[in-house]
Amino acid sequence: MNILGIGIVFARGSGINCYENALREGWQHPAEVNVSQAKDRRSSVYQVDLDRVKDKNLWKRLRRADKFSKMAVLAAASAVTNSAVLDIDKKRLGVIVASAFGPQVTTFDFLDGLLDYGEANVSPTIFSNSVHNAATSYVAEVLGVHGPCLTITQFQFSFQTALLMARVWLDEGRCDYCLVGAVDQYGEVLGYIQNHKLSLAKDGRIKPFNFKPTYQVPGEGSVFFLVSRNKTANVFCEIEHICFGKNGEDNNVTADLNIIDADGTLADESAYLSAISPEIPTAAYAPLFGSLMIGSAFNCTAGALMLKNQVYYKNPVTDNPQGINLLQDQGSSGIERISCIRYNCNAEAAVIHLKCV
Amino acid sequence: MKENDVLITGMGVICAAGSNLEEALTSLSVGKRNAGQVSLFETPLKYPVFEVKEIPGEFDLAGRRSLSLTLCAVCEALSMARLPADLSELRVGVCLGTTVASQLNGRQFYESYRRTGSASMLAVDRYLKGNLAEFISRRVRACGPYMTVVNACSSGSDAIGAASSWIKNGLCDIAIAGGADELSRISLSGFGSLGIVSPELCAPFDGNRKGLNLGEGAGVLVLESKSSAAKRGSATELYLAGYGSASDAYHLTAPRPDGLGLELSIKKALLASGIKPDAISFVNAHGTGTLDNDKVEGAVLESLFGKNIKFLSTKGFTGHTLGAAGGIEAVFTVAGLQEGWIPASAGFRNADQTLPIAPVRKKTIINGRYALSTSLAFGVSNAALVFAKSTN
Repeated sequence: MNILGIGIVFARGSGINCYENALREGWQHPAEVNVSQAKDRRSSVYQVDLDRVKDKNLWKRLRRADKFSKMAVLAAASAVTNSAVLDIDKKRLGVIVASAFGPQVTTFDFLDGLLDYGEANVSPTIFSNSVHNAATSYVAEVLGVHGPCLTITQFQFSFQTALLMARVWLDEGRCDYCLVGAVDQYGEVLGYIQNHKLSLAKDGRIKPFNFKPTYQVPGEGSVFFLVSRNKTANVFCEIEHICFGKNGEDNNVTADLNIIDADGTLADESAYLSAISPEIPTAAYAPLFGSLMIGSAFNCTAGALMLKNQVYYKNPVTDNPQGINLLQDQGSSGIERISCIRYNCNAEAAVIHLKCV
Repeated sequence: MKENDVLITGMGVICAAGSNLEEALTSLSVGKRNAGQVSLFETPLKYPVFEVKEIPGEFDLAGRRSLSLTLCAVCEALSMARLPADLSELRVGVCLGTTVASQLNGRQFYESYRRTGSASMLAVDRYLKGNLAEFISRRVRACGPYMTVVNACSSGSDAIGAASSWIKNGLCDIAIAGGADELSRISLSGFGSLGIVSPELCAPFDGNRKGLNLGEGAGVLVLESKSSAAKRGSATELYLAGYGSASDAYHLTAPRPDGLGLELSIKKALLASGIKPDAISFVNAHGTGTLDNDKVEGAVLESLFGKNIKFLSTKGFTGHTLGAAGGIEAVFTVAGLQEGWIPASAGFRNADQTLPIAPVRKKTIINGRYALSTSLAFGVSNAALVFAKSTN
């Protein structure tokens, strides 16, 4: 399965070129936002500013949509544009959207209405946007998709599971192309919960190679891949395997680079040490987009860009107390394979193997 | 039966009609509709609902109703499939659909947070440990893939379809698949705000239908490859012959008036089954009882299957159970094939003169080999599942 196009929305902007610039430029301090109910009144958050996107036609079609859905549609539409594939039969195009938390900000908006005005006076618009497949619905509506659509909400490996499903659909011939992506949104209540459950990085820097203790900086955004069995001149790379297993035992592919999802969303991320090899350099790009359960999609995007451009992007934050073999230099090289590795709190791994085409 | 067809070796259900398949089929057979006012929480809304009256004690996980319902249906299905409670020695996947169980929507938690700036993490902990497929996968120690599908009202059907794909693609040998949802204040008030909840008992496809009733429950199938079933010595005549899914690309909450997505999904399921429309012996329709759904669905069923197609909606016995609906209705569809009868479409009295077809009015004998179950979801997904009974 090949990645033909990528769309992305993150704190520093939207579009694959913007993300590539961020990979070249390195870490920047995230914005500080007021978190009125949190223990710390102000907190660093990698927050998306949709006002920077000046696409009136798109926003007109999404005028009733919430930020969660807008981010997803923006990324999905951008992936199609980026692919430059013009002749997609919309009955043969599928959509799979993965999330950890779904549109929880809108759910709390709905609860506001319920608590303020009573159960008989809630907003139907807010309710319909709080349904977890709303983003998928908007993607399908805006892009005119008549193929299969699937929405996945789970904490563990939701993006990897979505990719696996996309591969199955393509193998079965359910579709010729599939928009497969991930989206999650930061919200005040989620921030409050994260503040209770995890340690916030006071200096706004995620240090992916600390492993324990860990510090997170919440993020939000969306990434979509247009994938297909077809190849185009614009192809980024092939997704060779998607493996799941305890300690990554299914991970038998030798890579030129390991990208790890360590980002402070686990209180103990030492499990990543078992996947790190002294011979293979390691990278982690969470300091560019924030701590997210769907962070794999953003790291995988970095890997796809490296394979396409044949350029390594240096680690944005290089604190390295364990002395592991970190990717240090940005430079050109023959890159054949990249493994994108995520661990969950049970030390189970999911690995996306990317291969140059 | 084709070589890679997926067998159905177990079924489990819990809903207002009964706490297991036998109880539920008895209710369906005699036309018993166990609806009433909401008793699970206080609400000023007076819509009739289809609540599960009792979850068997061994499955009742306090404060985690959707998980309890799921566990009950899963255990019945595993028992029927003669599978152990610990599945760690087998290649088992778990694919379950839901709506409510995926939402971080604890009212007490949020009320406290709004009022005082702090709240107990109990509801959050339950939520974080309660993702449907993740929870069941760990509970039964499954070591295959797991996925929680949140395709709104087609979640259960799409979960079954996805699980069958896993088996056909060799990702697992056995899959626990279906859907579950509890009755919730959010859904009740939300659907109420859309103006599609009936103040009376629902009447799918009736000329005087006034909307849907909400319900709750879980419906689960055990899907299995032929080789796995043969290895275990498990014999069954039932299988999933085909699955189709297609999007309306139309509106967030309304079905597309021309029914394009539903039509495409049914055609895909028939194609995957290798059969023509006239092989379908009956359709368990989505049939919510709303004006729009039944109008679109009735027109599409007539255009594909003709005026004489036998069809029903079992939502008259269960209410609309949202993420569970596809799972529960799959179980009832398979049971219809197995038992050789379908019940009267509960709530139907008067034909809708604008609809070209009408559902069955009485308990009806079924002789055919194939049956179709359809699901239509908010805005996006239409799903169709073709179930079959082997002649072997």
